[in-house]
Amino acid sequence: MRNGTRLGGLTWLAAVVTVATACTGLSSSGSPGSGAISVNILTFTGPQIAEPLQRRAPDFRTANPNISISVTTVPFSDLYQKILTDVSTGTNSYQAFVFDPQWMGDFVGPGYLEDLSTRVKADASLKWDDIGAFFRDFSATYQGKVYTIPLDGDFHMVYYRTDILAKDGLKPPETWDDYLAIAQKEQGQDLNGDGQGDYGSCISKKRNAQAYWFITSIAGGFIQTDGTNQGAFFNTADMKPLVQNEAFAAALDIYKKTGQFGPPNEINLDVGDTRGLFTSGRCALSMDWGDIGTLAIDPTTSKVKDKVGAVILPGSKMVLDRSTGKLVPCDATTCKNAVNGINHAPFASFGGWSGAINGKVSTAVKDAAFKFLSYMSAPEQSNVDVTIGKTGFNPYRTSQFSDTKLWVKAGMSEQAAKDYLGAIQASLQSPNMILDLRIPKTQQYQQVVLDKAVAQFLAGEIDRDTAMKQIYDGWEAITNAEGRDKQLSAYKASLGVQR
Amino acid sequence: MRTLFRRRSALDLGPVSKAISYVLLVAWAFVVLFPLYWLAITSLKQPIDVDSGPVYLPGVDFKPTLDAWKYILVDLQSDTVRPYVNTVVVGLSSALIALILGSSAAYALVRFRYSPRVGVIGLFVGCILFTIVALALSAAVPLAVVSAAAVFLILYQTVGRRFKRVLGNSDVAFWLISQRMLPPVAVVIPIYVLFQRVGLLDTRQALIITYVATNLPIVVWLMRDYFSNVPIELEESAAVDGASPYRIFRSIVLPVAVPGLVATFLFVLVFAWNEYLLALFLSSANAQTMPLTVAAQNATRGPQWWYMSVLILIMILPVIAMAVALERYISRGILVGAVKG
Amino acid sequence: MASSDNSETLDARGPTPVEGSGLEVATGERERVAGHTFRAAVSAKNVFLWPALLVVLALSIFPLIVSLYLSVSRLEFQANGIDVRFLGFDNYASLLFGTEQDHFIGVLKPLTPVGWIIVAVVAAITARAFVSYLRGVNVRLLGLLLRAIAGLLLVGLVWLFAQTLFAQGGRPGTLFVTLVYVFVGIAVQYLLGLGLAVLATQRLRGQRFFRVVFLLPMTITPVGVAYMFRMLTDTGKGPFVPLFDLAGLQNFAWVNDPWGARIAVMIGDIWQWTPFMFIVLLAALEGQDQEITEAALVDGANRRQVFRHITLPALLPVTTTVILIRMIEAFKIIDLPNILTNGGPGTATESLTLEAFFDWRTLNLGRSAALAYMLLIVVTLIATAYVNLVRRRVTATA
Repeated sequence: MRNGTRLGGLTWLAAVVTVATACTGLSSSGSPGSGAISVNILTFTGPQIAEPLQRRAPDFRTANPNISISVTTVPFSDLYQKILTDVSTGTNSYQAFVFDPQWMGDFVGPGYLEDLSTRVKADASLKWDDIGAFFRDFSATYQGKVYTIPLDGDFHMVYYRTDILAKDGLKPPETWDDYLAIAQKEQGQDLNGDGQGDYGSCISKKRNAQAYWFITSIAGGFIQTDGTNQGAFFNTADMKPLVQNEAFAAALDIYKKTGQFGPPNEINLDVGDTRGLFTSGRCALSMDWGDIGTLAIDPTTSKVKDKVGAVILPGSKMVLDRSTGKLVPCDATTCKNAVNGINHAPFASFGGWSGAINGKVSTAVKDAAFKFLSYMSAPEQSNVDVTIGKTGFNPYRTSQFSDTKLWVKAGMSEQAAKDYLGAIQASLQSPNMILDLRIPKTQQYQQVVLDKAVAQFLAGEIDRDTAMKQIYDGWEAITNAEGRDKQLSAYKASLGVQR
Repeated sequence: MRTLFRRRSALDLGPVSKAISYVLLVAWAFVVLFPLYWLAITSLKQPIDVDSGPVYLPGVDFKPTLDAWKYILVDLQSDTVRPYVNTVVVGLSSALIALILGSSAAYALVRFRYSPRVGVIGLFVGCILFTIVALALSAAVPLAVVSAAAVFLILYQTVGRRFKRVLGNSDVAFWLISQRMLPPVAVVIPIYVLFQRVGLLDTRQALIITYVATNLPIVVWLMRDYFSNVPIELEESAAVDGASPYRIFRSIVLPVAVPGLVATFLFVLVFAWNEYLLALFLSSANAQTMPLTVAAQNATRGPQWWYMSVLILIMILPVIAMAVALERYISRGILVGAVKG
Repeated sequence: MASSDNSETLDARGPTPVEGSGLEVATGERERVAGHTFRAAVSAKNVFLWPALLVVLALSIFPLIVSLYLSVSRLEFQANGIDVRFLGFDNYASLLFGTEQDHFIGVLKPLTPVGWIIVAVVAAITARAFVSYLRGVNVRLLGLLLRAIAGLLLVGLVWLFAQTLFAQGGRPGTLFVTLVYVFVGIAVQYLLGLGLAVLATQRLRGQRFFRVVFLLPMTITPVGVAYMFRMLTDTGKGPFVPLFDLAGLQNFAWVNDPWGARIAVMIGDIWQWTPFMFIVLLAALEGQDQEITEAALVDGANRRQVFRHITLPALLPVTTTVILIRMIEAFKIIDLPNILTNGGPGTATESLTLEAFFDWRTLNLGRSAALAYMLLIVVTLIATAYVNLVRRRVTATA
């Protein structure tokens, strides 16, 4: 009998579960308002990016009662796979995506994305011309057609501690040599007043994180001189990778050398870790996206409020001669875009979160989705959102620089706002901005081949020349497998808008 | 108080070994609990407290805050509750179903003799293949070739070289466990397509079915060992009294195997509760489970340790409660008592 | 009828009625004595087993075939869906001999003396097992052939393994890193689990508390455990920083050292999965008849003898089961290396499944499936060898 009661417990459990399943099964079958066009948008779990979408959806609904917006989120690291699986199997559970425009190379070809060119032209409230030229003409555009609406501006900058540099009489870095010199000087100094030595430079070096973007940011100033459409990844004549030359070698060396002036475990730090270190006052220098600017004014994350300056990515006085693979000095012919004899090439890494619409849904749904994305990007909404740290949106519109008032209101000092916006503006207005790679199999080129070789080089598993050879061979293998002509025309198409 | 009345037994430890035992037990408890303590205090920290170096005692070396708890439980209420309910429902139902199906199969493999003919299995597999090929894909030639190869592989795995013979129970069992050998990355897309065809994507049913199928082999293997320890005399006497095999299983075998059942239940519950990759693909909005929410705390800003800690803590609470409730079933003497009748 | 040639079954084990054993006779008699007809027994036989088999079958065959097909092809996205191009064995070739060799297998260098000794020992053991099979009664051509192939594969695997680990300048690839995780992890987990289970069955107060606490690590989602260990092992803000400082290791970071990083991954794995061993062994210990143990103790046997001669033999069947299950699961280790180090430094902590995951995430589904199948082959090989060499011997003596 004792055993009977023991089993009784399990039986009860079974009963409870069955009832629970039945109940919740019933309650979850509720549907949204009848007659409304429902648009399901997929992005990653916020608060960044998802938060403003969710926050503004009800307001949008009030203005457009016949459109119902719902935002579905998945973990950041799996967004790409999730979208591609959904569209390529014809499931189409999502009508719109807020994603990385880098993925256009894989999405546009098979027709997964809707061409938005005519809708953009017809929409006055979007204020398309206010969007930075780079984001408008390169980032949102593929093969001459507009496929995405920018919601965010992404590129790398270098951040420095204004108080530390002022104390030691140093100027913000203009070249990577300056950067290394400052990092070396500050390494081991106490930067946050806790009596312990801190670090000269914090740049994420973790594998499978952001390292492959940072190496491009360093290499860019050596490799790209003639403007965005020259490209920094492949030779636009024959699709040969630009990775086995003195310029890339110099970049690898610099990247590795910054590690000497950083935290001992820098090889395992991703950008989230380095941001935490920088905003808690433990680094003199860092390279990052626009996020540090807004994080630094948030008291829950920052000890360095009003002590942060930003500059355009450091450049180089030596640039690559593509015909010989050697570095040559910067002069009027070799660097047309040089400032004070230094070639800067700010890198629009990642490209900025953008909205796109599934090409396989009905026109009514496409129109509804476009309306919402346009609403999100319009200055009335986005000029507020870019000043809020947790939105994860960084400035991408001209009107967002012209007025520092919004930023001061958000908590920046006048000087910090000027600094931050100045660096963004200098980068954005540079005609030599580097467009991130966006061709079919981009992820394999960057996340697998480039990232692995860089990680192995940083860890000392392979030497510099082996690393360069490994990247070159790996990229060539993908190019050959995909078809050289196809890849070359895709690469040129991604670069070739402005002439 | 109970110890006062317990009779002194040779099994009781001497004072020295008692002390050593306690030291070891406490040491491992510390190893287990310290990381959980760290989670608990991390959930009370501001980002700045986490980033500027280690601090240990809330109220002493940092000021505790409930911000993270508030964010997860209040600000994100519906985004936390929905996956939470899903996890509970999917975890419990799939664990129970797997336990029921798996333990009957395990019992069958212990007490009955199966001798499936290789030819029959081949035919059966062939039939399934044919159906799949016909249904799922507009059969390409290479696919057919490769399918044939796959059949061979399945046969090779389980059948080995006994083409002319019949198989034994142990072959059936090995085939079952071999179904867990492929890593999830290899099976997730096919399973996604399968459920897409049936129209079950983003439902709890899809997750329950998947978890039952993936956890069954473990149930069968573990329960087989427990059942084989059940003395056969009990069953025999019941059979003589005219009890049906189902009755024998339900009222004699299962009660005796309770420790094993409970342990196995906890395993499959935990596996289903914590599974990530399949859940990610089979769900989109409605059926998402908690592991996705935990993983999602690493986004563009790096891991949000404080939110993650809160989520992990609220996620293990029900499992701990379950373990506390079920622990007493894994207690001494059930089997012995039963044998004595 | 099952064959009497047990050496040929993949897995001849105790609990199954083995001919000649008392259990088998008893079963046979029961079926006869049971009285309620042959038909009832047959239907029960089917009702008990088939639901489970069908559920597993339904969800396993299709993925098995699809991934096998993917592993010999390339995937391309086109306007009307997915285009799968047949490639042949290119994916496998690149892993074994081509550009991915140093990633998958490792960097091979000539063996050091230690390496030679290890290879020689393994080869000798394998040869001995083979010879003893030849001397046995039931030698068949097919059995001989398969054993020869399995033996050669095993020795070959060890030889490659030694060339990456016990050689000047060699570096293990994902395959061998995975094997290290599996074998070291399981050995430590089993020993710890057994020790804890024995401690937790002693007559001490507070056992309920300890049992529940020891279970805890397993209840945390693997992704969560991985993040937790990343927090704990951080050399800038983790809780052990002061300890490192005390030891004068301010500038030491475990992540910079390949073995440091691998050990960190293994510690996390051991922390999480020791409870699995613990609870299975605990349930098995609790199922044992205490009176035999007690009687032995009263008769003057010491605890070590009791453990050796009574407890341990009774645990052997369940031991071999948990080890097999954990082995199969451990080969799929992914979350810890993925989150703790993302496979770094370099490729030092990357497991086979993680390599497959990286390829899969960037839509190189062909190579990802090829890796999965390589894993399947290795696991099948090792599991079969394990079942044949260890499990059968154990269940025969038990």
